[in-house]
Amino acid sequence: MADLNKSDAAKKRGAMKRKKTLVAWSFILPNLIGFFVFTFVPIVFSLFLSLCEWSAGNQGVKFVGFENFRYMFAQDRSFRIALKNTLYYTVVTVPLTLFIALGLAMLMNKPLKGKTFFRSVLFFPYVASLVAVAVVWMALFNPERGPINGLLMSLGVQNPPRWAASQVWAMPTIIGLTIWKGMGYYMVVYLAGLQGVPSELYEAAEIDGANNWEKFLNVTWPCITPTTFFVLMMLVVATFKSYDIMYITTQGGPGEATKVLAYHIFNSAFVSMKFGYASAVAMVLFVIIIALTIFQFKMEKRFTNY
Amino acid sequence: MIINKRYDILLLFINRYYNFLDKLSAACIIYHKYCTKCHIKCHTKDYFYLVTENVRLRLQLRIHFIYQSRRIILKGKKLLSAILVSALSVGILAGCAAPAAPAAPAAGGEGQTEAAAAPADEQVKIRVALWDYSNTEYYKTMFDAFSAKYPNIEYEVVEFPADEYPTTIKTQLAGNQDFDVVFLKDLPTMSALIAGGHLMQLDDLMANDSEFDKSHYSGLIEQLGVDGKSYGVPFRKDNNMIFYNKDLFDAAGVAYPEDGMSMQDYYDLAEKMTSGSGNDKVFGAHMHTWASNASMYARRTEEFNQLDTSTYESLIPYYKTLLAMQEAGYIQDYGALKSGNIHYSGVMYNQQAAMLQMGTWFINMLVENADFHWGVCSLPSETGLGNEKAVGGITPVTIGAYSKHPEAAWTFIKYVCGEEGAKVLASTGILPGYGSDAINEIFDAIPQNNEFAPEGLSKYINIDTYVVEFPMSEKAGDIDTIIGEEHSAIMTMTETPEEGVKNMIDRVNALQ
Repeated sequence: MADLNKSDAAKKRGAMKRKKTLVAWSFILPNLIGFFVFTFVPIVFSLFLSLCEWSAGNQGVKFVGFENFRYMFAQDRSFRIALKNTLYYTVVTVPLTLFIALGLAMLMNKPLKGKTFFRSVLFFPYVASLVAVAVVWMALFNPERGPINGLLMSLGVQNPPRWAASQVWAMPTIIGLTIWKGMGYYMVVYLAGLQGVPSELYEAAEIDGANNWEKFLNVTWPCITPTTFFVLMMLVVATFKSYDIMYITTQGGPGEATKVLAYHIFNSAFVSMKFGYASAVAMVLFVIIIALTIFQFKMEKRFTNY
Repeated sequence: MIINKRYDILLLFINRYYNFLDKLSAACIIYHKYCTKCHIKCHTKDYFYLVTENVRLRLQLRIHFIYQSRRIILKGKKLLSAILVSALSVGILAGCAAPAAPAAPAAGGEGQTEAAAAPADEQVKIRVALWDYSNTEYYKTMFDAFSAKYPNIEYEVVEFPADEYPTTIKTQLAGNQDFDVVFLKDLPTMSALIAGGHLMQLDDLMANDSEFDKSHYSGLIEQLGVDGKSYGVPFRKDNNMIFYNKDLFDAAGVAYPEDGMSMQDYYDLAEKMTSGSGNDKVFGAHMHTWASNASMYARRTEEFNQLDTSTYESLIPYYKTLLAMQEAGYIQDYGALKSGNIHYSGVMYNQQAAMLQMGTWFINMLVENADFHWGVCSLPSETGLGNEKAVGGITPVTIGAYSKHPEAAWTFIKYVCGEEGAKVLASTGILPGYGSDAINEIFDAIPQNNEFAPEGLSKYINIDTYVVEFPMSEKAGDIDTIIGEEHSAIMTMTETPEEGVKNMIDRVNALQ
């Protein structure tokens, strides 16, 4: 009798467990199927494609081993330029956006008249359509008739930069647009982080006679390191994979001055129909982003204070 | 619903039974208490036993009912899934049946190829891929006329956005879409599609069709071929010319530009025609931002061939003249045009420039929008070539490799690219791929209805030697991109013409 009871209970527990597992699966399954079909399979397929030559034609997929990678590193000048441009774009955009967003967030965190208004104004570029913003930005920076150069000239600058129409200034122009567009979002993220800093710490610092800078360095900054790492990670990934801004504003020009890796991938795949090669470049981009993300995670463990 | 009801009844039953058991056990306990109070111990054990037995029973019952109810639920689920599966399979069968139906006429269509007669019996529907259908009047006029003539061929238009059309159509055909008629925007796209095997060879269809006459297409069918095989028929062709504003020339007292100008003549004319400053400035000429706006001059004289890097240096003198014009302010700055997304048409309509190098489609635009007298002449060149050669892009129509009704598609193409379709195009001022005296007359008749248009336009649309803007090659897409990028570097003066052309040569040579 007792044995029977025990096995019944066990059976019941097992059934319950199965049921719970099933419920859990049923919750994540819709998303998982989507992820599997639209993300995982294409990633694996593109890993395979990167070793092949495929023009999306009827000739099928031809396995070429590491030929795509050899061509990329040995012969493809555009790849090298695109890689250099991507690094330039990321290295300048990420820290600038980060510090500007932090600065604005600290400003917005202070009791300020019309704070909500300013916050909306700063957040506005983020929600505005990129195409509209880019067209306006390009009109402002028009080298001949733009108001920016008009202002510079009236201030006595003889030869103002030719912005998007110059190989030297095209990238800074786009970086400016990226920062202006993205800073609002990261400012809000930082605001949330700043509001999480316990006020006792500031009080304690004040009692110890710390000035504003010391308070920032010893209280604010250490307390918001998790936010900083989040922002840093999002920014690095976003800048590495961005191509829409270049596509709308300069189409990678003048020459190849604003051609970034993602743009090169798009061109190779959908203009030149070299899907194998495009996948190979995409793999390189993937490896770079993964490596950076792992590195950042490692750093986060080391430097995050709580 | 049924399942739920049964389940509810079951639960009700279980609840009632539990209530009964609860009452029973309560009674037992009360009885037991009563017994202890009375110090009667004789029956207590039995009552205790009854209570524990009751609990055991309840447990067993509960388990029993859970199993029972689960079985019922499972059964219900099975029933539900059975219903779903059957409904789905019916749907799939119906779905299969739908494409299966046209498959039969397709087989019939192949039968027709052999019989080469009596197409009127079969009702077929062809899919036509193109851009700008909904905002271009002449397509509808032409297609409606086609339907009236061939009532057995229905057409379904699949429209894609114009700007992304080359990319979209390549991707669509790579996905084996069964378009029958495929309109193409440019030749690099066509080259890529032929290389991918996405277009049908038309040689058999052309050879078996006695009505079709290649000689009306000024040798373009051959130029659209690859390895001696034909894949497309030109729907539209364009000649690039200099359009000029006669009113501005008259006001300045300068003679109109003429055929066979040299680049220096063009420069001098632009210098004479430039006047004013600030917002009132009239530029001597206008150069749009496409790479072809520079390469077209050298391409017309066949000094320049995109597929042969040894000819690239012929571009340098043209770039030098154009850059000199830009520097002197006779044409608008390339960077300003590019950043401002400025369309060439507005510049001409507002009379801000006296001359413009553009394709023949601009005739149609000027007829509809210009309120000044205008004229045309052939492109200037370094060699002084007159109006003997025309250069321009071609809009071919092709048949997709996955077409289900190639015969019907060919009938369609033959119509829109033939005399009837060409007349519709020509009447709107668009230059059709098909050439004949009737078409020339239509162009010569334009000034009768439009006081601003020039006489004798047929002289510029009826030219024996026609050079395609971009020769057919598998690498055309890549070369086009490279030339475009270097063009922007040269025109923004970040590279000298020599450096830019050298980069072009190096990069094209390095192509895989």
